[in-house]
This record gives sequence, structure tokens and C-alpha cells, in this order.
Amino acid sequence: MKKRTRAIAAWLALALLCSFLMGAADLSGQANERDENEVYRLMTPDFRELTQVTGKPDQGDEYISGDNMHYRVTRVDEANKTAETELIGAYRMPDVSWLDESAMSVTALRRAIALYCTHSDESYEPTDGTSSDEKRGGIYDVADAFRNAMEEKGVTVYQSDETHHPHDAGAYRRSRQTAMQLLEEGVDCIIDIHRDGIPDPESYETEVKGKDTTQVRLLVGRSNQNSGANKDFATRLKAVADKVYPGLIKDIFIGKGSYNQDLMSRAILFEFGTYTNEKEDVLTSTRYMADVLYRTLYGGVTGAAGVGSDVQYKNSKTAPADGGEGKGGWGGVLVLILVAGVALLIFAFVQTGSGKGTVHKVKRTFQEMSGGLFGGRNRKKD
Amino acid sequence: MSIGLVLLSVVSVLILFGVAQRVLDKMQLTDRAALLIAAAIFFGGLLPNIEIGRVSLNVGGALVPLGVCIYMLLKTDTAREFWRALAGSVITAALVFFLGRLLPDEPEKIWIDPNYVYGIAGGIVAYILGRSRRAAFICGVLGVLLADIAVGVMNWVKGIDQQLMLGGAGALDVVVLSGLIGVLLSELVGEVIERIARRDEQSRREQYESRSRRREKAK
Repeated sequence: MKKRTRAIAAWLALALLCSFLMGAADLSGQANERDENEVYRLMTPDFRELTQVTGKPDQGDEYISGDNMHYRVTRVDEANKTAETELIGAYRMPDVSWLDESAMSVTALRRAIALYCTHSDESYEPTDGTSSDEKRGGIYDVADAFRNAMEEKGVTVYQSDETHHPHDAGAYRRSRQTAMQLLEEGVDCIIDIHRDGIPDPESYETEVKGKDTTQVRLLVGRSNQNSGANKDFATRLKAVADKVYPGLIKDIFIGKGSYNQDLMSRAILFEFGTYTNEKEDVLTSTRYMADVLYRTLYGGVTGAAGVGSDVQYKNSKTAPADGGEGKGGWGGVLVLILVAGVALLIFAFVQTGSGKGTVHKVKRTFQEMSGGLFGGRNRKKD
Repeated sequence: MSIGLVLLSVVSVLILFGVAQRVLDKMQLTDRAALLIAAAIFFGGLLPNIEIGRVSLNVGGALVPLGVCIYMLLKTDTAREFWRALAGSVITAALVFFLGRLLPDEPEKIWIDPNYVYGIAGGIVAYILGRSRRAAFICGVLGVLLADIAVGVMNWVKGIDQQLMLGGAGALDVVVLSGLIGVLLSELVGEVIERIARRDEQSRREQYESRSRRREKAK
């Protein structure tokens, strides 16, 4: 035993040394990866350009355009850097007629949101002098401005200043820990703040209420159990923005990742402009976006789009009984139970090789897990 | 929050808890020990992190899984299994580190969530090296922890003052998820391969027996 303990210590020391060497080597040097980013064009079925996205999209990715048309990527042409889409139809946006209700009064018990930046290096080239700052990117200034705008409305904002370098696929693993800590504060939603990597600044430049500003793209991950609820939240935000600040929200991209949105049903990723935009224009958009988020979370009447649990509303004359927020949740529960059930059956079948054996195995699993509560006593001895 | 969303959160946690208990149960732990460890991971994840300088350790997300790994290493049946598990975790760490660098980083181009890939890498490495569930858990957990340490060291070497968080997301941390995915994968792959091997052996035995019978008849 002593020999093994020594061996474990030696191997852990060796592993730590390897870690150190791997770290010190820092093979690729992520200094300015922006140059290497490919831009793909999403094309309509009649081959008109819909939008541009950073990097290769995947078959099955979905896209809700500025005019709320719903597309699905059907084929990706790597040679021409294009992605063909099929038109699913006009997206049925949530009803936000409650926004017109002038007599509405809101009594909130507690309002709180959380902000963090997964890609801590992201910056705005014209203002910050670089698109990627390895210490602390200009994206934190955008997060600060967004926090200030929300705080002015009386919302408590838990913002993490933690960085998650380097800007690689592991950044989401590191920011997951930050997100989890923020969620312990019992917030109403959690937002991961980014900026896009499209070189053309005009793709995001716009004018809202007579002021030069930049648009915001919303990103929803479809590889998690909260996908339906998150998509629901995103469309709710867009519906409110379309009414109050038309043109502010550029579009919604529903990609294959999870972006840590499995942690909460109201988790979302905002892309504030792109790296070639002036940061001042982006900062202007944070005020509008804060207003949109505030109205979506707290500005409605119960069930329209609001959080319900923490906010009490009066005067719900025009509000639907349940604005549909729960739909995504119930859908997620069904999908989750279905996936878990199918996985259990597959495992049981693989282990036993017969239908009868599968049933017996599933029954025994439930017996063991419930301490014999379901289907008789647990015969396995401790 | 609507009932649907509350139920979604509850069901997610219950399923993860159930999977954790099942996976731990498969690693020569008793039902009760598996349940206790799963509970320690879940409730330990809610405790405040232990701060040591710029390193932050979560009890449920890092310390409990690490403790389970060390216990399993000490309890390995053979020296070969022991060394394979350790070698596997260093290989997995290297894989996790390089996958982090190579996989797509921008949200629009992610084709598989990186957080699930690390467990798959751990499971594959463990299966190739040891064909053992315990090794798969050790590779998944230690692999991610070591890769996180590597990234932390890399940042410090570059002069970036970034906190090194280990298992900070508690039960939902990639450290725990990788361990669980690793075991489930090695279980699935192992069972399928063993089943195919058993079937081949059975058909060979049947052929041999029918040949023997024919020979006896001929005599």
C-alpha cells in the first residue's frame, strides 16, 4: 500500500510537471486568431444572402432573421463558404401586446440578473487597438455599461470580472464555473456577453431612435435540455425589441453547442456588434438592450414574459394566463425523460441481450435506486 | 418561474444524481457508498470554494471526485490496472488540453459541445488502455483536472493573473461530467464488444460440437 501511495504521489508530480510543460509550451499562441476566422454566408433557398456567421455552421442549425423568418441549414459548402437553408416559415413570435398597457404598475420584491464574459479577450479593434486583448478585453467595458444601465433601473446585477483565457474551446469549461457561482445568487437570468467576429462593420451598424448604434445577435444552444426554454426566452426578447427598438436585435442563431445554457432555462448569449465596430456605438446599444431585457423580465404582467416568482404585478387585464414561457420547460422535461429512458433501455439491452432481460434489468435498477421501494426489496448486500 | 421550468431543473438534477449513483455503483462500491458519494458531490458542490492563493477548489466538483480517484487507485486489483489508470489520466489530460485548442471556439461553429467531448476522450483512453470502468472514471476526472492546471500554469507563465478554478461548477462541473461520461462510454463499448466476442465464441463452440457429433456418427 505504501508503495502505491508513493507511486500515486510520484505520478501526480509527473503529471503536474507535464501540465506545466504543456502550459509553458503554449503551442499555438492565440494572440490574434481573429485573422484566421472564416466567415460563412447563410443563403436563402433562392440563393440570396441572409446573413454572415463566424465559422462553419452545421446542418440542422436554425436561424430566425430580423424579419422573423425561420430557416434551417440544409447543406454547407466548404469550398464557397456558404450554407444553404430551407425556409421553415414565419416564426410565431410571442404576443407582447401587454407592452401597450399604460396603467400597468409593477411591484418587484427582488430583481437580479448575472453577467459574465466567456471570451475574455474579445475587443473592438477601432477603439481598443486590437481585436483580442490577452489580459482583459474591451468586452468588459460593454458588460460594465450593460450593468450600469440595468442598475439604473433598480436591478441588482451580479457581474463576474473573472477572465477565462485562453480564447479556445476550453473557455466554456472555465466560464461554466463562473456561471455556476453567479447562479448561486438566485438570479432571474444569466447573460454571456460576446462580440462577433465578422469583419464587415456595416453588418452590425444601425440607427435606433435617431442614434448611431450597433445591433445585437442572440445565440441559443440546441445541445441541452433547456434549449426550448432558452429559445423561448430569446424570441421573447426579440419580440419586445421589435416593438420598442425596431432593428436593435439583428437575429437569433440556434447552433449546435450548449454555451453553458444547460445551467439555466433563462440563459442567453448576446453578441454586441462585431470586432470592427466602434466601441462607443456598441456602448449605446447596451442602454437599449438593458431596457429590452428589463421589460421582458419585469415590465410585463404575470406570465406574459415576466419571471413571476420574484415579481408581483397588478392590472393583468390584457395578459394571457401563461405567455407560453412554460412551454419550453415542459418540452425540456419530456425530452429529458425520453432521452434518459431510451439511454437506460439501450444500456439494459446491451448488457442482457434480450427483451426479457432488459425488463428485468430496468426493474432491478429501480429496485436498487429506490432502496426496494419500487418492485420489492433490494437484494444487493451492502 | 413557471412550473414547467421548475420541474425541468428538478428533473435535470434528479437524472444526473441517478446517473452518478449508478455509475459509482458499478465501480466496486456498495449501494450505500455510491449514494453517499453522489450526495457528497451534489451537496459539496454547494459549499463555498476553498481558496489557496489564486487556486480555488470546489469540494463537490474537485475534492470528492479526486478522493474517489485516489481510493480507487489504491484499490486496483493489479499493478497493471493501477499504472494504466495513471498513464491514462495523463494521456487524457493531454487530449483535453489539445482538444481545447483544436476544437472550434466560436459559438456559431461549435459542432459538438466541448464539455461533453472531454468525458468521451477519457472513456476512450481508459477503454483502450485498461478496459476498466474505474480507470475510465479516473481518466475522466484526473484528465480534466490536470488539463485545467496546465491552462492555469500557461496563463501564469504569460503573466495573466487569472484564478485557477478546479471543479467550480460543483456537480455540474466538467470534472464530474467527464468521469460519468467516461464510465458510461466504457460500459457501453465494453458490453457491446464482449457480447460480440461471446457470440463468436458460442458459434465456434456450436460448430465444433456439431462437427464432433458428425464424426461420431460417421464412426
